[in-house]
Amino acid sequence: MAYDIQTWVNVAAFTGGGMAMGFGAIGAAIGEGFTAACANEAIGRNPKLSGDIFKSMLVGQAIAESASIFALVIAMMLLFTKFPAHTLTPYVLIAAGLCMGFGAIGSGVGSGFPAGAACKGMARQPGVTGRLTTNMLIGSAVCQTPAIFALVVSFILLFTDFSMHPVSPTWAAILGAGISSGLGAIGSGLGGGLVAEASCDGISRQPLTATPVTNVMLLGQAVTQTTAIYALLVSFILMFKSFPTTDLLAPPMALLSAGLCMGIGAIGPAIGEGFAGRSAVAWIARNQEHIAALTRVMLVGQAVAESTGIYSLVIALVLIFVV
Amino acid sequence: MEDLGKIHQLIIPFFGHDITLNVEVIVMTWIVFFALLCFGFFATQKKSRLPGPLQVVGELFVEHLYALTEDALGKELSKTYAPLICALFMFLLLSNWLGIIPHLEEPTKDLNTPLSLGIMGFAIAHYAGIKAKGLKTYLKDYCEPMFIMAPLNIIGELAKVISISFRLFGNIMGGAIIILVVSYLTYNIITPPFLNAFFGMFVGTIQAFVFTMLTVVYIAVQVN
Repeated sequence: MAYDIQTWVNVAAFTGGGMAMGFGAIGAAIGEGFTAACANEAIGRNPKLSGDIFKSMLVGQAIAESASIFALVIAMMLLFTKFPAHTLTPYVLIAAGLCMGFGAIGSGVGSGFPAGAACKGMARQPGVTGRLTTNMLIGSAVCQTPAIFALVVSFILLFTDFSMHPVSPTWAAILGAGISSGLGAIGSGLGGGLVAEASCDGISRQPLTATPVTNVMLLGQAVTQTTAIYALLVSFILMFKSFPTTDLLAPPMALLSAGLCMGIGAIGPAIGEGFAGRSAVAWIARNQEHIAALTRVMLVGQAVAESTGIYSLVIALVLIFVV
Repeated sequence: MEDLGKIHQLIIPFFGHDITLNVEVIVMTWIVFFALLCFGFFATQKKSRLPGPLQVVGELFVEHLYALTEDALGKELSKTYAPLICALFMFLLLSNWLGIIPHLEEPTKDLNTPLSLGIMGFAIAHYAGIKAKGLKTYLKDYCEPMFIMAPLNIIGELAKVISISFRLFGNIMGGAIIILVVSYLTYNIITPPFLNAFFGMFVGTIQAFVFTMLTVVYIAVQVN
């Protein structure tokens, strides 16, 4: 039984919306639960501060939730917007849904870490509440960056007119673009969260090192996001490069695998870089005479951990431009 | 919604080639230059021991960024590079904040601006590296740990330029697209100021700082 295009567009919109919110719900919930657990621990240690800790927990959870809210926005748009009936539209809708769904996982979990560490830190060192909150806000906001990249790719997919492009390789390019940015955001969100957690913990242990700790945290998080940026780059190339029409199956598959390659390849390096950043930041707070050496070792270690991400980028580019 | 991804371009035919100028970006960049020049002029106009508001802001920038550069590069080199770092940070900060004003756009929203600043940082870092270590040691560092790794080390260096410029571009352009789409979906009611405050002021400041700091660190990695 053959269905017309409009039916397929509706099917894709519902599937995409469901996947966006379904996957998007994973991360934020885990992160928020972690924050709440830390807040309970903190109140148990220092019940006098329960008001402040409760407030800080709610603020931290609100930031962690924003990744899921992005997914909700995309899901709502997929469900309630009327899309043009074109052969490529179903692929666009599924790609947008997958992109935002996957993209919300890492940032949601990651943002929960600094919020939890900030709650525990307040119980340990009530005097630095203000500084801890500022640091937590900056750290969690930077954790959201990969999710924002995924949201941007989803928006561009939904609002760009692909009807001029040839159907045959473009469908794979669109799917690849969505998957690349979506999967690529998972690791960076998580890794950035690990670095930010260590910085909140460090500030509460040694409030005097607050400024260098925040600086190195930003540096560590920035490097952690590098692989998500490679994934964004691959998505942009896949979306905006014009590919020649083809009847063969191999060229579209190469584009789809380019997206998969960069997306999956970005997860591991980012988490690894997060570990490197976490312990560097944690030890800067404990041993402030050796900030320069710790930062240098962190950067070199992160660069080595990132090399596998660069291999993925090279293979993805080869798949797009050479094969 | 047609604004999404639209760029105002001026295309000049030049002996068979087309020269494309992104007019809007150039105008916005000149606005930032002009504002920074005015700031520099008025901040240093009446220097006194009881500083005026502009002088305080200027001293704040200079003091903190000089300290930052000194931490990473040491006393000697920081004298050379700290003015550059100050200028870079102030330019990026003002560029990222410019989008808050209606009808003005961030120059950093166009990939050309971050990419050229990234390439500038890359060139300066490698110049500093060659100057500090000598050409022979500089070239030998590419062959670490093995000779076979040289191509990958070179790709790794080039990837730094991509990551530093796309980080800034992605954040600023992403913020601008999100503001545009959300304002469109909510018919411009209530939400735009909050989004502008978050993406323009907050994320803009963080990203300007991150870009500046990464440039310093890239120089430091090459020098040491």
